[in-house]
This record gives sequence, structure tokens and C-alpha cells, in this order.
Amino acid sequence: MSVAWRIYRGLAEAFPHEFKMAYGDQMIEAGEKAMRRLAKQHGAAGLVRLTADIAVRLPVEHLSEMRRDLRYAARALARSPAYAVVGIASIGLGIGLTTNVYTSSWVLFTRTLPGVTRPNRLVTAETLASYPYIERYREQKDLVAGVAAVENGVEFNVALPGQSGQPDRVYGQLVSPDYFTVLGMEPQRGRLLSADLDKTGDTPAVVISDRYWRSHFNANPDVVGQTIRLNEQPAIVVGVTPSKFDGALTPNPAELFVPLTVPVAMAPELGDDVLHNRNLKAFQFIMRLAPGVTIESAESALDGITRRLDKDDPLAPPQADKARRVVLMGAGTRVQIPRDLRPKVLGFFTALMVIVTAIACLNLATMALARGTGRRKELAIRLGVGASRFRLIRQMLTEGVLLSLLGGATGLALTDVLAAITAHTPLPAGSPLNPDRSVDWHTVLFALTLAVICGIGFSLLPALQATRIAVAPAIKEGSAVALSGHRRFGLRNVAMGAQVAGSLLLLLVTGFLILGIVKSNSIETNFNPKTMAFLFVDPARDGYSPEKSQAFFERLPDHLRSSPGVNGFALATQPPFLPGDDEDFQLTVDDPHAAAPVQKGVVKRTVGAGFFAVPNEPILAGREFDEHHQHLNIDAVSVEKDRGMRSPTTLPVVLNQKAAHALFASGNAVGKRLRGDRRTWEVIGIVPDMKDASGMTQGIAYLPLSPHDFAQPPAGGITIIVRGRSAEEGLSDVRRVVASMDPNLTLFNVQTLSEYLERIRAAMRAALRNFGGIGLFGLALSTVGLAGVTGYAVAQRRKEIGIRMALGARRSQVLGLVLREGMILIGVGTVLGFLGAVALARALSALTSEFADAFKVGTDDPRLLLGAPLLLAGLALVACYLPARKAVRIDPLKTLRQE
Amino acid sequence: MTKVNLHAFLPLKTQWFHIMLSLAGEEQHGYGIMQEVLERTTGKVHLWPATLYGSIKRMIEADLIEESNARPAPELDDARRRYYRLTRLGRRVLDAECERLQELVRTIQVKRGLVTE
Repeated sequence: MSVAWRIYRGLAEAFPHEFKMAYGDQMIEAGEKAMRRLAKQHGAAGLVRLTADIAVRLPVEHLSEMRRDLRYAARALARSPAYAVVGIASIGLGIGLTTNVYTSSWVLFTRTLPGVTRPNRLVTAETLASYPYIERYREQKDLVAGVAAVENGVEFNVALPGQSGQPDRVYGQLVSPDYFTVLGMEPQRGRLLSADLDKTGDTPAVVISDRYWRSHFNANPDVVGQTIRLNEQPAIVVGVTPSKFDGALTPNPAELFVPLTVPVAMAPELGDDVLHNRNLKAFQFIMRLAPGVTIESAESALDGITRRLDKDDPLAPPQADKARRVVLMGAGTRVQIPRDLRPKVLGFFTALMVIVTAIACLNLATMALARGTGRRKELAIRLGVGASRFRLIRQMLTEGVLLSLLGGATGLALTDVLAAITAHTPLPAGSPLNPDRSVDWHTVLFALTLAVICGIGFSLLPALQATRIAVAPAIKEGSAVALSGHRRFGLRNVAMGAQVAGSLLLLLVTGFLILGIVKSNSIETNFNPKTMAFLFVDPARDGYSPEKSQAFFERLPDHLRSSPGVNGFALATQPPFLPGDDEDFQLTVDDPHAAAPVQKGVVKRTVGAGFFAVPNEPILAGREFDEHHQHLNIDAVSVEKDRGMRSPTTLPVVLNQKAAHALFASGNAVGKRLRGDRRTWEVIGIVPDMKDASGMTQGIAYLPLSPHDFAQPPAGGITIIVRGRSAEEGLSDVRRVVASMDPNLTLFNVQTLSEYLERIRAAMRAALRNFGGIGLFGLALSTVGLAGVTGYAVAQRRKEIGIRMALGARRSQVLGLVLREGMILIGVGTVLGFLGAVALARALSALTSEFADAFKVGTDDPRLLLGAPLLLAGLALVACYLPARKAVRIDPLKTLRQE
Repeated sequence: MTKVNLHAFLPLKTQWFHIMLSLAGEEQHGYGIMQEVLERTTGKVHLWPATLYGSIKRMIEADLIEESNARPAPELDDARRRYYRLTRLGRRVLDAECERLQELVRTIQVKRGLVTE
């Protein structure tokens, strides 16, 4: 019975203060008596029943108090609408921007793929691998439970049943048939691919994504078994992926999943004997670790296997590198981050979210402090008539949380608007569809949790401070009573200084990023972009045989030349300015004396004759490719064919300046020789560095287009770049020419260079909007906050100011008095914010080269370094001045009489 | 006095009804109400302490009962106790509820008469 009594008493103590005040003693008395009687009459069962009763009533009473608090809070907010509106707006902005960072970045790195079993056991490598290597990895049963090969961003010309006219271009993944088995996925309809059913020679099967099923089949349940045409070849839809799944290993949605056992005609990517050629690193792989195997042990085991395989290859150049050849990273999320970068990337976004949220909270906290002062009389009266301090604090917390939740709802609406804008921003060519980033319940939960944390965060300290009052003087003197020690390191001063520092930090860091992005994205052209256009053609996907495709491209130049609207043209595997893959192209200088002391990597681009002449790029030395080079049969010059017995014929290569400096000691590289890709190359020309759309200039080795490229165009096809009197005229001529050669050939990705540059700028504008929005938010909030705080300081000192003015102080003196305090805080905050921003920029530069480039540009710009602190300090001064001016307009007599 | 809609309170919750019935005769303290109800219903209705005081709190808020200042002789009193009595509104609500229940009983008797005949 003593245990039951202790529980009963404990629970009775936990009732809300007001309830205990009124009924606590009686409830204990009644409980005590009832307990004795119950124990006698009913034994343990009676005691349980008694305890259960009080345990059930406890939350009921708390909820009822909370409801009351909420009603009171709503009334209190309605009484000061200005405070409510500013508060909701600032917390809404803060939560909206934070949630936007969360949905657009954070979830891509952290949310696991939908429909996948135990996604944290999936890993992938940072680099591509060849299919024979992947098959060897798959054999390591003690290491892996399964390995699937994936080729991403594969384009298909798709004709649905009953569709007439031009087929759609759809992005998909080419996967090994065990792909879905490795993912541990169950179909939504029909079946998924399987190693048993989708062998080479079987009827080609295709699995479609849930999204594609809904958008193109109207979620028709009878989709399974329908035949669609992929690149002119029939394939049967066998199933639909689980809801929301649209591909592993890719940030962009894949709509089709095609097994790599289909014929080459359906997927030209499978040409070149890519499934058996150990040197063609064409695939990513996704791997499920065997039970108990860690990612580190798997990595070191795979690295060992890869080294042995490399050593077995007689054609591979000997490598003495110590670096890991296979570096694994988690693959269970939408976007993969290398393991060593992961904490840094997540840290950056966490810091961004925390800073934005903290500034919003600080702002509200300073406003709540000011408001607390204004309510001192009310609070004192309530304390005086018996309300507990806890009760008042709870009341103020409820007000804060209510305000914050309203702000959270506003923030969610803002996130939705931002997501809609992002979804409608066109992406530069080459990036497929935008993934769906609309607001879902995760986001709602995130925003509301954030709102509750903010609500408690910004109202707790002000509530503690505001309720720490001596009742009698507060009632007597009203709101003007001074807080002890408010002058130096009071809560308010710290909050205000921190707010200035945080806002400046945000403004500077986002400013650095913006300037960096703007500068690196301003592509300079030596021609009028209105005269240039490009389009793609991919005969292999229109059912051409390699021979027919090669013949088409060999005849094309003559036709284009004889066309009156075409002033210049060039073929290439990709349009100018498009950022390329970052796979290094291994080149070594033939003559060791001419080589640069440190050899840096370069990337390759395959371009045809006139690639530099069409956009008016100057040739700095030597010459560019002519049409003769396009007929060189690269394969015939391979070392493979003659095993190094004879000196192989050299192939021409054009380097940009950066590549020339990366490879050769002197800039004069024309005529020098290079080895790479098992061939010997001779530098025939040097061209200027061209910036690509991501703002990077890379060292580039330009290789000539070859008959092989024409016979089997790379993924994405061959682009025809054309210059005419106007872009439209040039385009229509190319269309006419191609149609005259074959009316059924699909032309895709047709755009004028102006459109293309506009799209690049749209991406840039999106970045500006995101970062600029965050910077401006900091600015706006700190201005509002400073005005609120100064207003608070003035309100506190009304009596003092009144006395000073009654004793003959001039207005300017009083103004100076009020402003001085604000200016000291602004000064301290500015210095701290500035130092913080420089430190943060340094830290971020150390993270990735992209940040480093952007920050280098930004931190060198005096406009930003001087402008941002001045702008903030200026606004802060205005924010201090306005309440101060109001203070000196106080009529001393009126103030003194009021007291 | 503003007109209060008595019927908004009806039917009364069982605990409320028994508490009000206890207070119909005389002023009572909480534990007394508990005892009285237990005896009157021969143990069928048990008002547990937390439920009892929760109900009392809400009934005071609804202006059905109120605290009374009258206290019994000091030798019978306990300083912790508070005494409650019906308000005028409470009395009218209790009357209305009793009326409603009697109506119900009459209906049941008529119906039973029909069934047994």
C-alpha cells in the first residue's frame, strides 16, 4: 500500500499548478481515505483502480490548461497585431528558407531511396568500372550479396502503343537484370527484371517508373504486357516500380529500366562489345554488402581485386600509384557523397540552416524582450494575485510557440512557392527532368518541428527575464522599471550583437557565393549568339546500322556547305560550353625533357572540323582540325593492332592553353608528341581556354571526330553546330538538309545559342535567388530586430529621458545618448560578423574547389567587403535612429506625470 | 440575468448528476460527496478522487456549483476541506435533468405495460 500511496502522491504533485492550488490538498486527503478503505474491501485491484484514475486525469488536466493558454495567447497576439505580423513574417521567412535548404539539398543527401530494402547496406564506387570487372566483383560471395551494373541517363526514343508522329525522348537506365534484386525491391505491378527471366536473346522487357506510368499511361492497371517501341525496337512492359522510385545512383529521375541483355539496336550504348571489353569503363555499379561486411573492408578487398585485374591486362600501362583504385561510398540515398566529404557537406548545410534559424530566433527574442518590458505591469499584477512564475513562463512560451507555428505555416507556403519556382526553372541541356521536390509530410514535419523549437527558443529566455520582477515596484512604476544590469552584458545586448554579427556573416558569405557564381558564369562569346544554334541527331537510335550512320555523316558536310542559309557549321559530340564528364584522359608527354614537372590531368572532347572557326575562337598556335582529320580511322592506329612492333602512326590533337601548361614545360607545344589511350598523338594546335556553363575552365585535349564516332555515335548523339545570318535561318536550313537526306531522322534538343545561354543564366538566377534570398533575409531581419531593440531601450529609459529633458538637456544630447549604445553594439557585431564570414569562407574553400573558386572571386571584391558591412551598419543606424527620434519628442511633463 | 439554455447541459454526465444530487440536500466537501454517492448507490457508482475534483473544477467553471463559505463546527472541520453547494443555475439544471429522467421512466413503464400485456 505504501508503494501505491507514493505513486498516488507523485501523480497528484504532477498536476498543473492551478489545479493543485485549488484541489491538491483535498485530492490527497480523499485519496488517503479512499485508499485505506479500498485496500480493505478490494485489495490490490482497488489500489490499481485508484491509481489508474489519477494517471488518466493527469494529462486531461494538462491539456485543458494548455487549451486555456492557447486561447489566452491568441487573444494576446490579436491585441498587438504589429508584433504578431512582424513576428510571423520573420519566423516564416526563417523557417521557409531553412525548409527550402532542407528540401532542395539536405534530403537529397540523407533520405533513403523509396521501396529499397535496407538501403544503408548499398554502396557504389566513385568511378566507373568495366563490365568484366563488375562480373568479377559479383563473384566475391563473402563480400557482397549482389552487384548490379548501371548506366545512367540513357536516352531512348519511345513510341507508346497507338502513338503516331515523332517518338518522345525519354531518359532511362540501362541495368543488369539483377538490379532490382540487389535493391531488394517489390514491383507495384507485374514483375521487375530478373537474372533468370531476362537473359540475352529473350524478348526485350522494360520496367517503367511509377512516375512514367502515371504521366504516360494514366496509371492504367493493364499496362503490363503492352508493347512499346524503344529506338524503333519492340519491348514489352513487364512491370512498374514501387511508388516514388525513379532510379538509384542518380539525382535525376529515370523513367525506364532496360536490361543490358537487350540487342544493340535497342541500346546503342551496348555497342563496342562493352559487356566484354575490360578497358571500357562504361558502368556504375551498385552493390549490396554481405552481412557483417563493413564498407571499409569491402573497399580494401575490391581494391586488391582491381589491382590484380589491372595487372593481368597486358595492354594496360604499368601503374605504380598507391591511391585506392576503388573508392566506395553509400548508395542508399538520392545523391551520393564521397565518404570523406559527407560530414563536411552535411556540416555546411546544417550550419546554413542553423544560422538562418538562429537569426530569426534572435530577432524574435529581442522583440519578445521588448514586449516583456511593456507587459511588466500586467505580469506583476498576475503574479500579485497568485499566478505562479511557472504559469506565466508557460503562458509566454505558449504565445511564442503559437506565433512560431503560424510562422511555420507561412514558411511552408513559402517553401511551396520556392519549390514551384525551382520546378519551373529550365535546366541547361544535358540535364534531364527536374526531380519532384514538392512539399510532402516529411517537409511539413520538419517545418513544424522547427517552428516549435524556434517558438521555445526565442521565448524562453525573455520569459525568464520578464517574470523575474519585484512585484510591488513593477505595479507602482509600470513598464519603466529598469532591469538590473541591463547596461553592459545583458541578455538584450548579447542578443543584439549576435544578431548583427550573424546577419553580416550571412550577407557576406552569400555575397561571396553570388559574386563567384556571377563572375564564373558570365560566358564571353566572340560572336553574336543570335546567329548560332545547335541540334542533335542520333541515327543509331533511329534504327540505322553503323555503316548507314557513317555514310550519313560523311555525306552531311557537303549538303550543309551547299545550303545558302548556313554560313558555317561544325560537328561535335557535345555543344560548346557544356560541362563535360570529369573523367581524366591519361596523356603523358613523349619527350621527358619537354614535360611539365607536375603532370596535371586533362579531359577530352571530341570535335570535328571548324569547331573553333564557327564561334570565331582564335587559334593561338598551329591549326585546328580539318575535314581530312575526320576520316582518320583511329582504331587502325591503335597499338593493340600492331603490338608496338612498328612505330604507330600519330593522331592529331588540339590542346587548350590550360592543357598545354598542364602537360608541357613551355607553352609552345605544337609539334610535340603525347602518349595516351594506347596511341601516340601529335599536338597540331593551341586554342584559348573556354569557360563552360558551370564556370569552370578545364585543361582540355580536343580529339578529332572519327568514322567510328559516326558509325556508333556516343550516348546523346552527334551535335550539329551551325551559324547562319540568324540562328533560326541556320536551323531551318539544317532541318531541310537533314530531311532531304532522310525525312525519318529525329532531330532533338534543338536550340539557338541565345536560348541555351539563357538557360544557363536561368540556372544562375536560381542560385542567385536562393543565396540572395538568404542574404537579404538576414539584412531585413536584423534591421527589424535592431529597431525593436532600440525601441525597447528607449521605452525603458522614458523616465530618465524625461527628467534629463526637464533639467534642460538638448535634443541632440539625448539623441546621442540613445544612439551611442546602439552604435557600440553595431560596431562589435560588425567586427565579429566580418571575422566570422572570412573564417567560414576559408573553411568552405577548403571543402571543395567549387567553393574555393567562388570565394576567391568574392573575397577579392572590395565592393562586397566594404559594401556589406557599411550597408548593414547604415541600416542598423537608421533602425536605431527612428526610435531615438521618437524618444526626444517625448514631452517631459507628460512622461513624468504618467509615472 | 441572461437566459441560459438549460438543455445545453442535458443529458448530464453520470458523475455530474450524482455530484449535483449529493449537493441537492446540503453543502458537502469533496470526500463527503464521494462517500454519499457510494452509499446512495450501494457501491455501484464510485467517484474516484481525480475524476471527482476534475468534475468539480469544470462544474464550477460552468457555474453549476460554487464554493460555500459556511463551515461546520470546528471539532468536525478539517482545514484542507472546501465545501460546495449548487448555484441557482445548477438547481434548475438538476430539476430539468430529473424531469427528463422521470419522463424517460414513464415512457419505459408504458412500453413495458404494452410488452407484458
